[in-house]
Amino acid sequence: MIVLGIDTSGYANAVGVVDGDRVLADFTYEAKTDSLEQIVANIDSTLRSAGLGLENVQGIGVGRGPGSWTGIRVGVTVGKMLAFSTGKPVAGVSTLQALAYGARRESSLICAIIRVGTGDAVYAALYRSENGTVNRTGEYYVGDVKGLTGMITGPAVLAGDGAQVYARTLKQESGLKVKAVEARPGGAAVACLAAQRLERGENDDVLSLTPLYLKESTAKAFVNKYKSSHT
Amino acid sequence: MLVLGIETSCDETSAALVADGTTVLSSVIATQLDLLRKYGGVVPEIAARRHTELIGYVIKEALETAGKSLDDVEAVAVTSKQGLIGCLLVGVAAAKSISYARGVPLIGVHHIEGHIFANRLSNPGMPVPHVCLTVSGGHTMLLYVEEDCKYELLGTTLDDAAGEAFDKIAKFLGLDFPGGPVIDKLSKQGNNKAFRFPRPMIRSRTLDFSFSGLKTSVINMLKERVARSEVLPLADIAASFQEAVVDVLVARTMRAAEEQGVAAVSVTGGVSANSRLREVFQEICKKKKIDVFFPKLSLCTDNAAMIAAAGYARMRMGEISDLRLNVFPNVPLEG
Repeated sequence: MIVLGIDTSGYANAVGVVDGDRVLADFTYEAKTDSLEQIVANIDSTLRSAGLGLENVQGIGVGRGPGSWTGIRVGVTVGKMLAFSTGKPVAGVSTLQALAYGARRESSLICAIIRVGTGDAVYAALYRSENGTVNRTGEYYVGDVKGLTGMITGPAVLAGDGAQVYARTLKQESGLKVKAVEARPGGAAVACLAAQRLERGENDDVLSLTPLYLKESTAKAFVNKYKSSHT
Repeated sequence: MLVLGIETSCDETSAALVADGTTVLSSVIATQLDLLRKYGGVVPEIAARRHTELIGYVIKEALETAGKSLDDVEAVAVTSKQGLIGCLLVGVAAAKSISYARGVPLIGVHHIEGHIFANRLSNPGMPVPHVCLTVSGGHTMLLYVEEDCKYELLGTTLDDAAGEAFDKIAKFLGLDFPGGPVIDKLSKQGNNKAFRFPRPMIRSRTLDFSFSGLKTSVINMLKERVARSEVLPLADIAASFQEAVVDVLVARTMRAAEEQGVAAVSVTGGVSANSRLREVFQEICKKKKIDVFFPKLSLCTDNAAMIAAAGYARMRMGEISDLRLNVFPNVPLEG
């Protein structure tokens, strides 16, 4: 199954095309704040580099985040409107899972970590590598990186932009063998995971597909806090 | 030619199908009024999230209401200029995806040009040149419209937009959001001469506007009365405030019309739905033998039909955007 995968959740944006688990093209580029400007043109050029057009694609995979809120809105909107406009099925994939997928051969336990802003807060999740894919064990985590220590239950590799930064801290805090591996959010990784879901018939509903924010907007969090302290 | 219009610049998620720039086949608007009331205004992040949730449904409904499919759509027009950046980009991401997938032209439209075309859609016979007052919660501008898509900016607000002043005063009076329609309704029961509020810049040599002084004057008066524990005559305050805004808008527009020597004026944008504004414009224009044009009420607030109409006009001039189309939250109207 030929699947297009996109991910615009971070500083680097990614477009890839796969046939099942075979990578046909994988393009990662620095987008900074230009996700919207570049994504559709780069989908077109990536497909062309594989000798394909959108008409050859049989399914669409979208990285739903977590990550830049603006970035994931661009990616999810593009993914679902391409699916809507072509009638092809769509599958959303967590960006954390795509990161873990890139490190699936490194360890049986993978912790995907994406930094939130410039502090020590992270988005994270723990994945088990099995049968050529990665499956999440436990809940998504949002918070200070030190809170991750209890989640990591055995020797693991860290993947994501927080991996190099926090490998030493997590190793010391957990007393376990923890090391960072190079892994960037990849379009092909998103496409492979989406292909697995689509082949199992696990399409997402095109119109209701939404980003995986994992955090409420500041205003909403403020109102909820205000309400709970005034009831 | 069938154009799909998309508009997500602020708090309305909207899609419309317009044929040949003149016939509205469908115009679907999903408002975020529930959110606006909850937070007392537009919260950009929350609005952008809502747009992302709704955009597909709104486009699908616009197609279904018109009895059309994407096969029939020959171009996609989208608001890419003027608005909240996070909101604009949802519409543009959707529009460029449809344009790419269907191989149809993409046209980025300036939101304010959309409002001008709301009047063209409602009044196909509206003459050019004319003077246009476009006034909403986000802007207040006077333009000389030499012909469709050719404008000269005559004046703009130096601080608050008129619609914003309505919202803020409504909030201070403890009224619902958005303030425009609520104050309009309440004013009908009030005396618009009960209070004499200032008419800022009404005699200024420029054609600019200012509403923050008026707003402060109303708020100071309210605070004094509250401090003296007086009962607030809400309807009289609303009516007197509204009259001050209307006086300024009408006087400035008539002065622009006189200076430009035009025989017609058009009034558009969310505030153009205000019944007192329409009434006063009609009275004065009748006296001065000037034609005045307003959009249909359904086309006053933000909607995608006006974007489709403006996009059609721009496309006929050969202005087509490429797939790298980006959003610009604050740029002047060109043309």
